[in-house]
Amino acid sequence: MLETTAFDFAWKTAGEIAAAFAAGRISAPSIVDATFARIRARDPLINSFTAVTEERAHLRARTLDEARARGEPIAPLAGVPFAVKNLFDVAGLPTLAGSKINRDAPPAGRDATLIARLEAAGAILVGALNMGEYAYDFTGENLHDGPARNPHDLQRMAGGSSSGSAAAVAGGLVPLALGSDTNGSIRVPASLCGLFGLKPTYGRLSRAHTFPFAASFDHVGPLTRSARDLAIAYDAMQGYDPDDPVCADRTVEPVTPLLDRGIDGLRIAVAGGYFKCRTAESVYAIDRVAAALGVNRDIDIPEAERARSAAYIITASEGGSLHLGRLRTRARDFDPAVRDRLIAGAMLPASLVTKAQKFRRWYQREVLKLFAEVDAILAPATPCPAPLLGQQKFMLGDVEMPVRANLGIYTQPISFIGLPAVAVPVPLSPLPIGVQIITAPWREDVGLRIAHALESQGIVAAQRPPIREH
Amino acid sequence: MARKSISRKAKSARRGRRLARPHRARKPDAIGTLVAADAQALALPMDPSWHAGVTFNLQLLLKHAALIDQFSLTDDAEPAPVFRA
Repeated sequence: MLETTAFDFAWKTAGEIAAAFAAGRISAPSIVDATFARIRARDPLINSFTAVTEERAHLRARTLDEARARGEPIAPLAGVPFAVKNLFDVAGLPTLAGSKINRDAPPAGRDATLIARLEAAGAILVGALNMGEYAYDFTGENLHDGPARNPHDLQRMAGGSSSGSAAAVAGGLVPLALGSDTNGSIRVPASLCGLFGLKPTYGRLSRAHTFPFAASFDHVGPLTRSARDLAIAYDAMQGYDPDDPVCADRTVEPVTPLLDRGIDGLRIAVAGGYFKCRTAESVYAIDRVAAALGVNRDIDIPEAERARSAAYIITASEGGSLHLGRLRTRARDFDPAVRDRLIAGAMLPASLVTKAQKFRRWYQREVLKLFAEVDAILAPATPCPAPLLGQQKFMLGDVEMPVRANLGIYTQPISFIGLPAVAVPVPLSPLPIGVQIITAPWREDVGLRIAHALESQGIVAAQRPPIREH
Repeated sequence: MARKSISRKAKSARRGRRLARPHRARKPDAIGTLVAADAQALALPMDPSWHAGVTFNLQLLLKHAALIDQFSLTDDAEPAPVFRA
């Protein structure tokens, strides 16, 4: 059996770790030991974890080793350490959702459905991760826990709100993390930290036993360092769950076996108009991906700017409604930047919110028509690479914009109607940036196949950041 | 490589032009007054130091909402979330 020092866990993919475990080359306890050693060494710099579950992980690791010794079938993620954004319920931990207020809540009595499904596939939970308060955030800054830092440059934002999820995977602490994405909270941090991220179709993966934000937008999904890992994790998490009223009762549609089919015959276009890139980095990223895929046409997503506005106000309204009670009793315990937005959301007239919901249906119908012409649409994931921590404004073309609200300008019109999107990382120096591969509802397979093809060509890749350890 | 457009851009632009009507200007303090009244109506405690931040955010939300308000929808337009018994 390999010594853990001979097996570089820090940058191995989930698939590689599972294969090494299945082949008997490493033990699950040695994986867990190496993972916690890495968390202890690196997380003081990255600040991605808010809790670790050492006892649970060691117990789980011993169980996996015993099962392997008995010759039992080995599950696809056996031995793979993973962590979850701290809005997922973890039995025995309070579900913080990035807040101060939830610290007073009793510990969760059970795990979120997706944690149970990953564990059923052999994965090992090692902890809960930092995030933007109540997920109302694109920066990854958190007043209560401090910011999760971007492993590519510790002075820069990891992106939010799944900031810890991205920082932990990009920092080599775990190969797989779960995040949530209401308006871009998987795709934005994936872009800023140079990772692969999957926001599946609305209703595809169960959100049961997670802390909500804006119910009609909330999605959950994985962040990883390879497209194949996204597919493996996604396949392990699919399936109906009666505990989430939004979860669709669909047959599991495994994607991993389809990854190597390539992209022949797929019709792909670049989103124009509203999505036209206005920074050098996003122009480079889109052009590089489009050229590699042989894409020679643009397509306009109609009324995308209005869709972004509608997403903006419905989110504020649903968020304001969710937190109304806490805003009455514990307003001083919110991050002021989050509190002021939620209060404003609670004050929005219902007539305007209802109109936005009607527009939403119109927009969905128009956008779905596009998928008669194309199978996938490319768009930038973020307007720029990671801003500096504390940075308030950035330039988009010749327009100065507030960072906090605008890092998601390209992701919001997509999640607004629940379309699946894979964020893929384009390596750039000094900082990576992501591209979204957007597909028709329930066609995550197409996006993941394209992501895998791009990765196989070396066009997209999760680059290893240089991190000095404590 | 030059990419050929197969967009609905022209149609969208025409719609935008047709729908962009000037909005009646609000008095500068109208939103601030609304914030104070709403806080009272919703029983939301409002420290005076929060007023400017909430007002800024409500102004921003109403600016986004105006873009939706300008969009012409038919009377039978259904909202996206549909209740099914």
